[in-house]
Amino acid sequence: MKHVFMVSLVAGVLIVTGCKPSSVPSETPSLSAQPALSIAVMPKLIGIDFFEATKRGAEEAAKELRVNLLYDGPTTNDVQQQVQMIETWIASKKYDAIAVAPNDPDAIAPILTEARKVGIKTVAWDADARPDARDWFVNQCTAESVARTLMDVMAEAVGPNARYLIITGSLTAWNQNTWMAEMEKYRQAKYPGMTNLTKDPLATEEDQELATQVTTDCLKRYAELQGIFAITSVALPGAAEAVRSAQAADRVFLTGLSTPNMMKGYVKEGVVKKFVLWNAVDLGYLAVHTAVACIKGDLKPGAASFSAGRLGEVRIRGDEVILGDPIVFDASNIDRFDF
Amino acid sequence: MAPANDITGDSALHEAPTPMKDKGLQPLVPPRVRTAPHLAPAGKGPAAPGITGCLFVRELVLLLFLLLMFGASSLFIEGFWDWPSLLRRSRYWAATGMVAVPMTFIISTAGIDLSVGSMMALSGITLGLLYNDAHWPIAWAACAAVAVGIAAGAFNGTVISYGRVPPLVATLATMALFRGIAMGLSRARSLKGFPDRFTWLGQGNVLDVFGTRGNGPFVPVSFLVMLGMFAIGGLLLRRTWIGRFAECIGENETAAEFAAIDVRRMKLVLYTACGLACGLAALFHTALYATAKADTARGLELEAIACVVVGGTRISGGRGSMSGALFGLLIIGILRHGLLMAEVKSQYIIICVGLLLIVAAILNERLAARRSEK
Repeated sequence: MKHVFMVSLVAGVLIVTGCKPSSVPSETPSLSAQPALSIAVMPKLIGIDFFEATKRGAEEAAKELRVNLLYDGPTTNDVQQQVQMIETWIASKKYDAIAVAPNDPDAIAPILTEARKVGIKTVAWDADARPDARDWFVNQCTAESVARTLMDVMAEAVGPNARYLIITGSLTAWNQNTWMAEMEKYRQAKYPGMTNLTKDPLATEEDQELATQVTTDCLKRYAELQGIFAITSVALPGAAEAVRSAQAADRVFLTGLSTPNMMKGYVKEGVVKKFVLWNAVDLGYLAVHTAVACIKGDLKPGAASFSAGRLGEVRIRGDEVILGDPIVFDASNIDRFDF
Repeated sequence: MAPANDITGDSALHEAPTPMKDKGLQPLVPPRVRTAPHLAPAGKGPAAPGITGCLFVRELVLLLFLLLMFGASSLFIEGFWDWPSLLRRSRYWAATGMVAVPMTFIISTAGIDLSVGSMMALSGITLGLLYNDAHWPIAWAACAAVAVGIAAGAFNGTVISYGRVPPLVATLATMALFRGIAMGLSRARSLKGFPDRFTWLGQGNVLDVFGTRGNGPFVPVSFLVMLGMFAIGGLLLRRTWIGRFAECIGENETAAEFAAIDVRRMKLVLYTACGLACGLAALFHTALYATAKADTARGLELEAIACVVVGGTRISGGRGSMSGALFGLLIIGILRHGLLMAEVKSQYIIICVGLLLIVAAILNERLAARRSEK
């Protein structure tokens, strides 16, 4: 038995090592003979509306540009799974560019650096990676434009003297904090008459039920309250639920950032009249266009814009490609979107 | 029967623990227990070769399955056959493997440790906080991180052995507890900025296998350390009383107590060792991603348990296999790698891994049932 074991072990090793010289050279010519570019696109996670919409955009762009597209990502928002998948993609030597929406900017950096070492172009989209690890970042919209759009929506509905408060996700979330800082800056410049009723934003930890509770409390506590911003996709429907059950939609104007599918019911009922987000389909579309332009060398740092299919000329700032201003959703346009 | 025993190194087992014989406890042992090799009377009983043979066959089957998978993947999946990338890939298995070593012992005692991922997060966060915020030298911070792992493991062990809480419940509780402490300490930040000589642990390579110095197939440091841990674990399990006692406890705890095994201390030691392994794994894991985060290593406990079970260790205790756990790790790792390479979507890959686990579990129980019929 011992001998059988050893023999099979040795034989196994011989078989596998013996395969190597014959298979490796035969692969190289077939790869170089293949003209079509291949792009791998990875969302933060698969199976949620937002990233299904970006997938449709990515597929549309891939068809238009005649490139092979792989759209796959982890089943939870786990950066470690993302790193392992990218490792495999690098190993397969099939892809000319990898576009990833990283769950953590720093943890994704080493593997992206390795991808660049073997000549794969790297693009971050939806959220940035550490800038030295990627070639380009496809930014859905700048923090200023998100802040400006939100404040304008509020001013238009309530007037330039609105008394409002902000409901956020977690107090450590980088992008929400940036938006709030920009909102305050814009308020001081454009709407000095507006008042933020709470010094600190109210945290709801990406928990819809908690957002409902917090909003219910606020509606009771602040009699003078006129407007609420709920600036995460989970906080807005949570807050909307509170406004609906308190029947406060006439007294308090609720807006914020969320996806059309989550908000459709509330918009139809008139609980939320307007809210803001970028177009997820266009984001996926632009990510693929950016990756292809990056491989072909059409995208140069320092350029002011580049042409991205049906989106026309897209603005470039430094090494960021900017999708544009966010969309304001209301009852008139919400049915046109599915994400 | 002697040669058969020599193969698996079970000859040591024939110096059966004398206390129980001396105390004349043989009749107290239920019939099923007699099938366990360590309790089989020396030089007697056809059961012994059957069992060792069985274990050996299992591992041979696993090895053949692994080679078959390797061969099939190389043939059918373009780009799979590439040593450098496979070796690079092995870095991602290291942490799971390191945890699977003590897990094999724990599952052999019919226990389980669900808190391994959380212990790793706690150790990692300790490392990050001490290095980043308290500005400790990296080596000291690493030692402290391992110490925290040991402490966490000892806490598990104390609750289980002296608090008499079933391992499933105790470690389910500490899984939340340790993760919560890590979250609180780090305030959900990710800690980074580790020096290169530290990240080398997770990202670096040693041993130039194919002589392509500088740009190719080395063996990752972390994988090598993991193999070392498997070797030590294998020796402890097969060649020393530690492994025999662990399996004995898993087969029948009451009988083990009658056989004068200090079951409680044994469990305390095993769970503490698991904390130690988690502390070490946390170092390599943190170095690999160059980031310490409180939500790191989510689901690692299930992966480690899966490797152990695929490797033929019975979840109901009584039999452990260290080489089996290593094969299990490689089989699951290569299955995932191969399927990803073949552009199978992530959701289907989970399904495949799930099916593999079910098949392995059924085979395990079948083999065990056949054995006890003999």
